[in-house]
Amino acid sequence: MTDKNNPRPRRLRFEIFRYNPEDPESKPHIETFEIDERPYMTLYMALSEIRETLDASLQFDFACRSAICGSCGMLVNGRPALGCRTLTADLPEEIRLHPLPAFKLIGDLSVDTGIWFREMAERTEAWIHEQLPFDPDAEEQRMSDDIAAAIYEGDRCIECGCCVASCGVANVNPEFLAGAGLNRIARFMMDPRDGRTDADWFEVVAGDQGVFGCVGMMACADVCPKELPLLDVYAYLRRRTLGTKIASG
Amino acid sequence: MKTTTGSLKGADSISKARRQVIYELISGCTGLVLALFMWGHVILVGSILTGERGFDWLATLLEDYYVAQPTVAAIFAIFIVHAVFASRKIPAQLRERRQMIELAKGLKQSGREKVPSRRDNSPFVPHLESMLWIWQVRTGMVILVIGSFHLILLGIDVFTPLFGPGPGIDSATSMGRVAAGLWLPYSILLLCVEFHAGVGLYRLAIKWGSGVLPSRHILHRIEQLIFWVVLGLGTLTLLVLAGWMSPPLEFLLSGVSP
Repeated sequence: MTDKNNPRPRRLRFEIFRYNPEDPESKPHIETFEIDERPYMTLYMALSEIRETLDASLQFDFACRSAICGSCGMLVNGRPALGCRTLTADLPEEIRLHPLPAFKLIGDLSVDTGIWFREMAERTEAWIHEQLPFDPDAEEQRMSDDIAAAIYEGDRCIECGCCVASCGVANVNPEFLAGAGLNRIARFMMDPRDGRTDADWFEVVAGDQGVFGCVGMMACADVCPKELPLLDVYAYLRRRTLGTKIASG
Repeated sequence: MKTTTGSLKGADSISKARRQVIYELISGCTGLVLALFMWGHVILVGSILTGERGFDWLATLLEDYYVAQPTVAAIFAIFIVHAVFASRKIPAQLRERRQMIELAKGLKQSGREKVPSRRDNSPFVPHLESMLWIWQVRTGMVILVIGSFHLILLGIDVFTPLFGPGPGIDSATSMGRVAAGLWLPYSILLLCVEFHAGVGLYRLAIKWGSGVLPSRHILHRIEQLIFWVVLGLGTLTLLVLAGWMSPPLEFLLSGVSP
């Protein structure tokens, strides 16, 4: 980034993981690219410049450029982050980029988070299970402000997969629901419109694929680009599940 | 994994989940008891700071009222149970453990680099807790070895007349042992135990109380404060036990007749 004290732009050195699983000739390796830093440059801008000027075959995902689509998650110097909202000014001159671990690699920095999130949504049945058949003439059910705000907070998840990639457990146990999955469960558990009881939830939440599989490394909460209160969510799930356990004996 | 209960698979996985909750509770509760016990333990052994008389008086008191003997046995049992249930969470394969370590190292290092134009609100704050977990596993292994040795030794000391004048702990025997070389494993044990217990309690508080208890930042500070205080007290105790330092609080008991 240029400023008064430092008029010459920094020369950024990108060390990027390259591998195309579709190509039998391709071997995983690190490739280095150098570009000049520009003011307010994001990783999205830098990668686009590399693709335009240095290597057209570089694969990476971007769509919205405003941290809402969740497609540009990548390991930036070992830490999961969104490319579109990471300013190069916050990074040293040497920037190491890897694809997010724990997901299926499409190529280079591009991963398929969709497979993981679809499976998670199916396993948690991430939709409202209505208590009564839908009546189009009935007035909408009321909900307190606090609950509505808490549900909204959980719904801010953009499914970028940073929490999953940063999770030691999710990286070695593909069944583990990780931050995004547990956050989703809590969202439906809090929702008064959802007919599922705590006993229905028990086998998904409890157990090693649910909140009790979490070892408490807390990386998910630290890397979440939307700063979701994931640790509060887990504590809520633990206490509520323990309550169910005690109630059912 | 469907939430529809009643099918055989559903019933199976419910009982599996129920077991896993119980395992988690056992490992958390035993850890809590052991961590609290360790603080008490360091304070009790710290009685050597008032001199051998204070130490012997306290040891004899706890033995005469049969507090020490059942405690040694119970702690040994809880210690083994904790080791069994807490180690469930350690990935079995070397490859998986390497993966976790690499991830944790990356998270710990990112954000530590010097960036001249870094803004005040940099999103890259180094993340430590993953690495702390890995160190908890490592210290846990050390504690399992040295702690077992220590517990067996003290079990023999408390229950048999093999060491010292009779059954029970006395300062002369303990100091002799520490001075003879046990100071080395004991210092390692002290460091590992205080780290393991402090981080464990911090993690337990976050796991169950996040959002209800004070913030994570404050809890971490409290954890660090207790860690250094107990480590300091433990170090002084070891120095006195090894005979490298005279008891600094001996004056407290100087006026007391024997």
